[in-house]
Amino acid sequence: MKTVHVTVDGRTLEAPEGMPLLQVMLDAGIHIPHYCYHPKLTIDGSCRFCQVRIEGVPKLQISCNTPVRDGMVVKTDDPEVHQVRRGVVELLLLNHPLDCPICDKAGECWLQNYAMEFGTREGRTIDPRRKRGKRLDIGERMLLDQERCILCRRCVRFCNEITKTEELHVFTLGDHSKLDIYEDARLDNPYSMNTADICPVGALETKDFHHKIRVWFLEETASVCPSCSNGCNIMISAYRNRIWRLTPRRNDEVNDTWMCDAGRLNYRFVADPERLRAPLVDGSPATWNEALDRAAAALGDFTRRHGGAALGAMVSPHLTNEENFRFGELLRALGAGHLAMAVKRGAADDFLIKAEKAANGRGVRELKLVTGVDDGLEGLLGAIESGAVKGLYLCGDDLLEAVPEGRLERIFAQLELLIVQTLRPSPRFARAAVIFPATTFAEKDGTFTNHAGRVQRIRKATDTPAGWLSDGEIFTGLLNAVAAAGASFTLDRVWDEMGRGGTVFSALNLNEIGPRGMPLGAAGK
Amino acid sequence: MAARVVKVSRPEPMTRRWMPILVGLGVAIKHFVVNLLGFARGRQDFTVYYPEQRFVQPPAMRGMPVLVQMANGKERCVACGLCEWACPTSCITIFPAETAAEVERFPEIFDIDMSRCMFCGLCEEACPEEAIVMSRQVEISTYSRRGSMWHKQDLLVPEAELKPRLDYLRPHYARE
Repeated sequence: MKTVHVTVDGRTLEAPEGMPLLQVMLDAGIHIPHYCYHPKLTIDGSCRFCQVRIEGVPKLQISCNTPVRDGMVVKTDDPEVHQVRRGVVELLLLNHPLDCPICDKAGECWLQNYAMEFGTREGRTIDPRRKRGKRLDIGERMLLDQERCILCRRCVRFCNEITKTEELHVFTLGDHSKLDIYEDARLDNPYSMNTADICPVGALETKDFHHKIRVWFLEETASVCPSCSNGCNIMISAYRNRIWRLTPRRNDEVNDTWMCDAGRLNYRFVADPERLRAPLVDGSPATWNEALDRAAAALGDFTRRHGGAALGAMVSPHLTNEENFRFGELLRALGAGHLAMAVKRGAADDFLIKAEKAANGRGVRELKLVTGVDDGLEGLLGAIESGAVKGLYLCGDDLLEAVPEGRLERIFAQLELLIVQTLRPSPRFARAAVIFPATTFAEKDGTFTNHAGRVQRIRKATDTPAGWLSDGEIFTGLLNAVAAAGASFTLDRVWDEMGRGGTVFSALNLNEIGPRGMPLGAAGK
Repeated sequence: MAARVVKVSRPEPMTRRWMPILVGLGVAIKHFVVNLLGFARGRQDFTVYYPEQRFVQPPAMRGMPVLVQMANGKERCVACGLCEWACPTSCITIFPAETAAEVERFPEIFDIDMSRCMFCGLCEEACPEEAIVMSRQVEISTYSRRGSMWHKQDLLVPEAELKPRLDYLRPHYARE
């Protein structure tokens, strides 16, 4: 594509021809206020906020709907431009209710910001503000406040263009315009909560985050959604060591600026009161050291009596690449005979939602821990049933859903040794020698490999209790006890070992995996 | 600039050193006589016999922050969190909740840790609803640290009782 040069306030910017002028200026770090423009939606031009002066054009032009031409001379610092901005803010505030104190958007509201920046601080009208519907229940997960709406139509375009479900529309004309759902529709599509993200004001709110916490208290951590193998980039918003919401983070290679509702709502398991908080040895709570000693002793005893080949292992697709690599080392040290992975499967679509409901199934396969179409599951189960495998190291509880009840019962009854690493205790694990509490995606650093082989960083957003061992530290502790390896679990060291170990990860460098991730094949260095 | 000598006038060293003693005695004797005469004439004494008697603080005084309780018994607070944000000592903790009432948001939890509060009044200034004000309440000592954690029910004070403070505040914090 041809590259053109435009001059904005004396600065020369380079851009591909035809790109919206607004995007060119935003990319160059020039602050241009805008509401209706969204990089992933078509251009609407309804807010009139991004107007600039273009030399040779008599009137101000909206920069979002102006493709750049070569030699364009643009002025943003112009008295008329400033007047337009003041006017737009005043117009939008004419009927905007002043309910910022109870609005969930307050603090990250574009209208608040622009009113502070460009507003006149005083109203000139004497008419009462117009009354509209408030707290309208427009969907399973969404609320609509028509008074707050500034009619930018981002949500309408999202439903028309991205989900193609077309539930929302701006009805009637002029001053009577209002955003609403069609009579026979409800905003229930699987991506509906994205409308709350793209809403520049608090008109569309998620029920999940409604009246929960002020956004300025939230601490955001860039991470990756753990709910399916797509690996959408997210921000984890935490306050007082608790997650309050997940929001999508832009990554054009993975999820653009969107994420599905199921993934967004799947964070409560982190603070689940049912979660295992201390290791269980023979069913009763124990300290971490007792549990490690017991597990190492049991594993050593088992391999001495039956040989390593009689030990099977279920690898978890929820653990990070590093943890699974260390688990692989432990299993090699023990000489485990059968490795398998069970993955929960669910609905999928052709946009973001993938059938595999775990974040790192691909990573386990890339580490060559499991092979086969069913990830070795049938082989392991068959070996347990035939008596060839008598002990099982089980990570995660996906197995419980992937295998029918009756068979599950037979399998667990046949095991001589069971060591489990799981979030929630289950009656199935009653005979387990040791149950270790697992650590969730929000409580550790590491990398996930998504379905397309993109390695992406996850980061710690909430703390675990003092003395807690993460999954990788448990594996490392056991490895040190079983093989006297003297290993420690830090990301740098594990990546060094993964590089030396000749895995596919050796082509990548941990520190080069930026906020957007890196594909396995690309070999950044 | 060249140095120059400035002659300053200093008081002469005191010679009559017994003089201040007489002056001090004189003051004491004067007060003794004045009080004696006043007492004889039935003048009210200005000691407040606390705790039987209480001094009514002027509205400008900043006692402990309390929540304004409306006539319907509910708090006026909508849990917007601005006081929590403004508080320099982070002594306020708010968790909001939703009701079906017209004002849809209320604080489910509103705690003030009075052992941290420094009576600066920034919460009152930040409040957009006149819902938290500095009261005349200063008797807040407790026998335990836990006792200095005040919860919403303890913090509610009827609006009528806080009227002097609210009247005093409005001209200060009124927005055009």
